[in-house]
Amino acid sequence: MDLIITKGITKIYNPKKIPVHALQGIDLTIKKGEFTAIVGPSGSGKTTLLNIIGGLDRQTEGTVLVDDTDIAELSDNKLIDFRKNKIGFVFQSYNLIPVFTAAENIGFIMLLQKRSRKEIETRVHNLLESVGIVAQKNKRPNQMSGGQQQRVAVARALASKPKFVLADEPTANLDSKSTTDLLDIMENLNKKEEMTFVFSTHDQRVIDRAHRVITIEDGRIVSDVKISD
Amino acid sequence: MSTIVKIAWRNIWRNITRSLVVIGAIIIGIWSIIFLVGMVNGMIESYIDNAIKNEVSHIKIHHPDFVMDRENQYFIPDIVTVKNSVDTISGVKAVSFKTITNAMIGSSHSSRGISAIGVVPKYEVNVSGVSQRILEGEYLSDKKKNRIIISKKTAEKLKVKLRSKVVLTFQNLENEITMGAFRVTGIFETGNNIYDESVVFVHQKDINSLLNINGNGHEVAILINDLSDLDRIQDRILKLFPDLLVRNYKEVQPELALFQSQIKMAGIIYMVIFMLALIFGIINTMMMAVLERVRELGMLMSVGMNKGKVFMMIVVETILLAIIAAPIGLLLGYVTTGYFNKNGINLFFYSEEGMKQFGFDKFIYPMVPTETYWQLVVAVSLTALLGSLYPAWKAVRLRPVEAIRGSFETRAGIMVSLVIFLRKKIRSIWT
Repeated sequence: MDLIITKGITKIYNPKKIPVHALQGIDLTIKKGEFTAIVGPSGSGKTTLLNIIGGLDRQTEGTVLVDDTDIAELSDNKLIDFRKNKIGFVFQSYNLIPVFTAAENIGFIMLLQKRSRKEIETRVHNLLESVGIVAQKNKRPNQMSGGQQQRVAVARALASKPKFVLADEPTANLDSKSTTDLLDIMENLNKKEEMTFVFSTHDQRVIDRAHRVITIEDGRIVSDVKISD
Repeated sequence: MSTIVKIAWRNIWRNITRSLVVIGAIIIGIWSIIFLVGMVNGMIESYIDNAIKNEVSHIKIHHPDFVMDRENQYFIPDIVTVKNSVDTISGVKAVSFKTITNAMIGSSHSSRGISAIGVVPKYEVNVSGVSQRILEGEYLSDKKKNRIIISKKTAEKLKVKLRSKVVLTFQNLENEITMGAFRVTGIFETGNNIYDESVVFVHQKDINSLLNINGNGHEVAILINDLSDLDRIQDRILKLFPDLLVRNYKEVQPELALFQSQIKMAGIIYMVIFMLALIFGIINTMMMAVLERVRELGMLMSVGMNKGKVFMMIVVETILLAIIAAPIGLLLGYVTTGYFNKNGINLFFYSEEGMKQFGFDKFIYPMVPTETYWQLVVAVSLTALLGSLYPAWKAVRLRPVEAIRGSFETRAGIMVSLVIFLRKKIRSIWT
């Protein structure tokens, strides 16, 4: 099942002053259950592509279909709802709410979705278990290590039961052990729950674990390799 | 909504110093306004009360021409009947009548122009506060003839003491110069120097016989029980005596009403200045709060928090600050004004002569009407709401894709980034 389809995406920053062509005609299809890494040097357009797929930014030209919805057609408010219900985000610098505990950070999106308290409690507990930080559930971000914070971020991304998770350089601030642990968790979720993950990264450890590696240079896809088990 | 309140509440305490500064500013602001309003009301009350007790009364009745030309001929005939009629009106507390004439008072040392006021002591003590302001000696009585009470200021200027003799010289009804010797039986001080220096009090019988206006007088002074009855009683007297001039204290001394309104206006101006200062303080603080967590706001918007909720979060955060501060400020104001309402504030400590010159009492008793507290609650809530709007608007204008990286596109954002950067640099140099 095709989850994400991009057709001829271009993105030009500062089109009237000094135009920067961040993306130049990206055609891409990502199926449900893929574990995909988008790689490339700095400034190649990885993050821009992820932002457009995630509905955080709008393309200059082209079409993005996410779960059969053309997200360019959505109003700002509908796009926010779309992100809330269909997409999970993991950011490079975790971006947890500093005044919330780990459990509250995970449950926060479900509160926005107006889920019942009981459902939130159950799901938060399950997610804490699946990312292995039950003991840290009442700790605030500043009381946790970087690896633990990123696990909370992954659990938060999954809390809303999204169609897929977009992770922008998720391991950039992590040490080797934390990176391996995090990748184990995500790979496990991918296998068990068939959760689709799309990473932007230039971390070789992530690339080595990805099932599909798309390489971008100067805003164009230069290679798209599927790696079988 | 509970999630918004929860985040907002916790956000307040993530930078305790900053929040305490805003809370402190609101507390001090509210306290100072309550104290100021209390002082202003106390001063107005003291000034008007003094003037009414010692000088003006609530209502005065004169011959219509007496006000323009204080001539002896413009008396109220059969003044006792007038007094007795007014006494029967409901709501009237006390009535007195008096004879007033311009005179020269002389001692062996010097002389000066004054108003000689002839009073009937048993009525006058119920209307005027002068009898309670006797510093030495005693007030006038029906027993002894040709007694006079003069102010401390007049005594000093004439260089006379208790039991000294002074001579009053004036024109009688036939315009003949007449004089009488009076013995000083009391020395008073009302606290209003201008008034004190301009009047002396004698028994009405003594002055009436010198003026040849026995049975008549120039003024009926009335005190009433409740100020809200003022117009009704004034109208009633007018109907009873349409040929006489009946004026309330605001008409007798228009400066009282002017003083009252001007001081109230000054109070409103102070309140507006405070509110403006508070608004800018709140905007500044909340702008810093917003711009220091741009990345977090970007994340919230990325994961699905809509703009309305982000806006509400900032507004609620500001209102919570006001909700914490306002009761403390109100309580502090209530306790402070309550204490001084009982014990008074000694204004003479500040400037005795100046205060006396303006007719203020030695002690001011601040008083704050209940509605002032409610007005302040509304004003502070409104101020907090207004102060939060701009930062909240700035927050929702952030674009998630930029905010998530901690950057801004707006010019103001760049300026604030610069301020934050410089502040961090200064702090690092400091530490």
